[in-house]
Amino acid sequence: MLVEVALFAHLTPYLPEAGAGGTTGSPHARTIDLPDGTTVGQVIARLELPDEPRIVFVGGRHAADDHVLAAGERLAIFPPVAGG
Amino acid sequence: MPFAANPAPQPDDYASLRARLRAARVGVVGLGGLGSNVAWMLARAGIGTLVLADHDVVVANNLERQFYFTDQVGLPKTEALAANLARIDPSVRLECFQTHIDETSLGEVFAGVDVLVEAVDSAHDKALIVAVASERLPGTPVVAASGVAGYGSPNDIITRHLMGDVWMVGDLVSEVSAEHPLFASRVAIAAGHQAHMVVRILLGFPQV
Repeated sequence: MLVEVALFAHLTPYLPEAGAGGTTGSPHARTIDLPDGTTVGQVIARLELPDEPRIVFVGGRHAADDHVLAAGERLAIFPPVAGG
Repeated sequence: MPFAANPAPQPDDYASLRARLRAARVGVVGLGGLGSNVAWMLARAGIGTLVLADHDVVVANNLERQFYFTDQVGLPKTEALAANLARIDPSVRLECFQTHIDETSLGEVFAGVDVLVEAVDSAHDKALIVAVASERLPGTPVVAASGVAGYGSPNDIITRHLMGDVWMVGDLVSEVSAEHPLFASRVAIAAGHQAHMVVRILLGFPQV
């Protein structure tokens, strides 16, 4: 199944080369082919994202690591940094 | 609707714009460099009700960038900020919670707010607040901040519609550290972005 994955800020270099732009043409997004039943946590592991706080949204809502992705969904991950 | 499609408010519309802001109830979680400055801007903008939450007390080095005064050192930030906001506009309704906001308390403290401002310090708490708000306050716009430290260009601080109901202010990468401390000027720029995005959302202009 095809899923769009968007990674922001210092996570953008972790995007794979293929599938550039996703469906929206965003420089932060890629369209990635994943096995059915893939979870958010499995995508994070596959992309080897660093272990740090993340804001994780699927389809505009927060999603936990055990969320099972569906074809056509958009997974967006943003790493907030400290300071305020 | 593109911003250009919205006619500029006419002078006689100002009262109705102020009335819309007066009817609003906005939450601010974290009352440090971002939150204390967001709060006074929202008070001056005429927001009717502010829900303010922070567990901390004012310490001397907070005065470098936060909206407190020397005689308030040692007071809970909620108490000190309430006093300062009342001096600006005593008609602003204040709901203050001296508590640490967590998975349980966020949904209770900020239930029913029209917009929530995330203004905490730690990356972990920022992620937690956005996640919990999405679950416990569905449909509530969240104006968050990330990347406000250091002496980088003021023009790198921008507002983005990040995802879902989340707007993000900052340069996204400037993490506070010994080499990149927090400066009043840059933090205030970010606070201004957050406060103004709140005003825009409340007035029906959610695009950046």
